[in-house]
Amino acid sequence: MQNKLLQVKNLKKQFQVAGGMFEKKEFVNAVIDVSFEIKEGTTFSLVGESGCGKSTTGRLITRLIDPTSGSITLNGNEVGYLKQSELGDLRETVQMIFQDPYASLNPRMKVKEIIEEPLIIHTKLSKGERENLVLEMLNIVGLNTEYANRYAHEFSGGQRQRIGIARALITKPKLIIADEPVSALDVSIQSQILNLLKKLQQEYQLSYLFISHDLSVVEHISNEIGVMYLGSIVEIATKEALFVNPLHPYTKALIASVPVADPLLRRKKETLKGDIPNPKNPPTGCTFHTRCPIAQELCKLEVPKMRQITEQQSVACHFVEKIEEV
Amino acid sequence: MNENVLEVINLETIFKRDQQEIKILRGVNFSIQRGEVLGLVGESGSGKSITSLSIMKLFHGTSGEIKNGSISFHGTDLTKLDEASMRQLRGKKISMIFQEPMTSLNPVLKIGKQLTESIEMHMKLTRKQSTAHAIKTLKSVGIGRAEELMNEYPHQLSGGMRQRVMIAMAMACEPELLIADEPTTALDVTIQAQILELMKQLKEKNDTAILLITHDLGVVAEMCDRVVVMYAGQVVEEADVFELFANPKHPYTKGLINSVPKIGDRKEVLDSIPGNVPSPQNMPQGCKFAPRCSNAMEKCHEHEPEIETITESHFCSCWLYASKEVALHAK
Repeated sequence: MQNKLLQVKNLKKQFQVAGGMFEKKEFVNAVIDVSFEIKEGTTFSLVGESGCGKSTTGRLITRLIDPTSGSITLNGNEVGYLKQSELGDLRETVQMIFQDPYASLNPRMKVKEIIEEPLIIHTKLSKGERENLVLEMLNIVGLNTEYANRYAHEFSGGQRQRIGIARALITKPKLIIADEPVSALDVSIQSQILNLLKKLQQEYQLSYLFISHDLSVVEHISNEIGVMYLGSIVEIATKEALFVNPLHPYTKALIASVPVADPLLRRKKETLKGDIPNPKNPPTGCTFHTRCPIAQELCKLEVPKMRQITEQQSVACHFVEKIEEV
Repeated sequence: MNENVLEVINLETIFKRDQQEIKILRGVNFSIQRGEVLGLVGESGSGKSITSLSIMKLFHGTSGEIKNGSISFHGTDLTKLDEASMRQLRGKKISMIFQEPMTSLNPVLKIGKQLTESIEMHMKLTRKQSTAHAIKTLKSVGIGRAEELMNEYPHQLSGGMRQRVMIAMAMACEPELLIADEPTTALDVTIQAQILELMKQLKEKNDTAILLITHDLGVVAEMCDRVVVMYAGQVVEEADVFELFANPKHPYTKGLINSVPKIGDRKEVLDSIPGNVPSPQNMPQGCKFAPRCSNAMEKCHEHEPEIETITESHFCSCWLYASKEVALHAK
């Protein structure tokens, strides 16, 4: 049995969106109730559409923002409420790869400085030792070591993403939070980066929290998947279970909506009606009931609890057992 | 039924920078028939969007210019038309949907105003009639509360709603050709499915020809009748959609199709194409794809392949399928 590296329990994040000293305060719940675990050396993915809270969850775990309530345990230690000054270890163990390789690298720094920076902050290595590590890291991510003295703008999107990965890996982290790491890249480049991430995972026993809206990418890279809708996880399952037998109506709709790159499988789709509700003013009860094809009275009144259906699959839906009949 | 709405022949578009001409399109050829959806695929930098801007002649404020070739729309060569005549066509006979519904609607004008503007101009209707027509069009794209929406501003709408409004604007004058440049790329999958379904319905109803520009092969497989694959400003392969996915010929097309992770496919390592798209200032000699191609031969690096006919409706420009030999430079 693999060790649990990260445990997230009932995580909640509320942002204040309006109000001040004299005005009525308004809040939006970006993350309402999120719980999951990541085992060592495995990939857990969060999927969902824009505004579902998947990026906020990632940022909470790296403590770029502070949780409102709930707990985040890393290697058995609670890290959700550490003070800014105590975050050093966490930042070494948990690193992040960002979506936009154009915005996430400092244009005024050379590639070697970008990759070296975490070492300056987290280690007491000498300049020479740091430089050796940087060159080694460039090799590992598949970049020519001659590139070390260039600036980020001289590189293509895929190469920049490699630089971002090198920067994340240099502190020898245990967990990498990858927030849409390939969605800004062309498909031929996207597959290069996905292959690299998989290779690195095997070589360094890394765990990934992979955040993405793209189900086919998620299926390729994950061991386990959590499907999010309006701030909550509605279904958690192993990759095999989720794609072979999705249970939640939202998961089903999401999988059915993905255009398949094979014209022979073209079919008329049962598309979900309506838009994603505004998270400032979420629907009562099950937040999906406004778009759900099987919604009943109960769904408007009561928030469904997460229930384990099989060993591989848990789902938050009142009528999951009845789906086949409806 | 076999009537070509649009014929693009040997289109070359250049941009000027520092007194230099940079060739972005290097001889693009394709045609679209009535009621047909033609997919234009390729990665960023392949010239897909420049092709659409060239057809619309939307070069205002840029150094872009059509250098050679012709764009024949029902027999009229668009490259020869002046700006005033183009204005008569845009939005009426040819319209366009852009990728970013957020930035392509005017934020300070109400939806109604933006919709009726082109209707009044092109259809010569009174204000009252054009308002009625606008509401009708909004309803046809699945917007239930069309009357209310006319008085709202773009920022009050969701991404999917904005894209519906964009489509309504494009379809309002019942164009014969609709150019959709990555129409669903900025949208979530469930909304994307709605919009694609809507575009199909509108096409069936009005027999509109659609030029669908996308990088997403899933969208292509779902929507298109025929596909044109572009690389580095040229068409490298053209085929019927079923033929293209079942029997791709060009190594680039093969690479693209194999790079896409597919649901249900338990492949450990994805195929990928090494390297990057060459920049227009720095085009390799010979076949532009040769430096990334695993099948590249000596002649690929020296000579550009011509477009070859594989079957009646399948064309590919690659030396692997060349019918005539070419002399290599002695080394």
